[in-house]
Amino acid sequence: MSHSAEIDQKEAWSGGQSPFKVSYGKMFMWFFLISDALTFGGLLSSYGFIRHKYSEVWPHAENVFTHFPFIHQHVPLAYVGLMTFILIMSSVTMVLAVEAGQRMNKRGVLIWMFWTIIGGLMFVGSQAWEWYHFIVGTDHGALRHVWDPAVGHYVEKTIYGANMVVNEYGVPQFANYFFFITGFHGTHVFSGVVINFVIFLNALFGTYERRGHYEMVEKVGLYWHFVDLVWVFVFTFFYLL
Amino acid sequence: MSEFHDDYPQYEKMAGHDEDYGKKARRTLWNVFWIMLVITIFELAIGSMAPGHGWTGALWLKVLFITLTIVKAAAIVMWFMHLGHEVTFFKYIILLPYLTFICYCIFICLNEGTYSSLPRNKTTVDKLLVQQQVDLRAHRGHGGGEEHAAGAEQGAEHH
Repeated sequence: MSHSAEIDQKEAWSGGQSPFKVSYGKMFMWFFLISDALTFGGLLSSYGFIRHKYSEVWPHAENVFTHFPFIHQHVPLAYVGLMTFILIMSSVTMVLAVEAGQRMNKRGVLIWMFWTIIGGLMFVGSQAWEWYHFIVGTDHGALRHVWDPAVGHYVEKTIYGANMVVNEYGVPQFANYFFFITGFHGTHVFSGVVINFVIFLNALFGTYERRGHYEMVEKVGLYWHFVDLVWVFVFTFFYLL
Repeated sequence: MSEFHDDYPQYEKMAGHDEDYGKKARRTLWNVFWIMLVITIFELAIGSMAPGHGWTGALWLKVLFITLTIVKAAAIVMWFMHLGHEVTFFKYIILLPYLTFICYCIFICLNEGTYSSLPRNKTTVDKLLVQQQVDLRAHRGHGGGEEHAAGAEQGAEHH
């Protein structure tokens, strides 16, 4: 694929050639993704540390995430399996949009970008649903000792759902890490959807056709795949293990 | 010419694919997708069988899940993100610093996590919470759950 002879010296980097045969924008998208991956790596490491410390009282995912829309039974893992499928699927449609862009196929780019955006919205919606059920909790709840300022000591109380201080599932840190890491990931998905939409509009209005290439699709594609990549790890460490 | 604009037509000419190449590329991408889907379904199947068979928390299960996760992650990076198509040196510039950092993080997790879970370093945990986990694990037929949770309670009493 590398016909370096085609590089116009005037258009290359100031050094006279492109380092590593990648464009400026793509390279810095990779560098940005590394820094973002370091953030997620740090978060997941600290999650692993705390989970190791409280392993005896850390709740098992199959006792926590048991809901599925329209089914009034306990179906552990099914819903998160669906979410994972949606995100992997949207990653495939994204890479197909990139592939269509490399063939200068505007229609292909638009179709596949559209499905990617739909997949992203479905994922964000699923995550909102998941959070809702996590926060509201079960009908039975669980007994906890909570501080009562009125009497000045701990009292036994039934807790439903989860907040940042106490939850019915297990140690407070469990809910804290769930909120923080899936929330941080969800923010990435949401911003990815917004960026994908902007790129979709640009492609629709012919900006990239005039420019002569669809490299912007490839760059946002990198970001979108990164979001999928992070989910693969979140899925394993929060739901499977 | 500004150094900060990203309008570099010549790079896309490098990757300017024709219909034949596209067909081949699409076949590869769909194959990667099917492999990832099969892995995910396998993980979910094992994951939902685990509580019934008392596998929850077993070492081989953790190793299996983490290995499969790394396989999926590698597939995303190499084929979906096309890092496999980049220049070798660029590949290592992206991967090596990151993997070094992650190895360090794993070391810290294991080292400090082991230290902090020594009985004398246990933090007090709500007894009702400990009891809940004991009940849940006993009810689900979780192997070894009871003695582990009892250990946690002992640790909690230490303070």
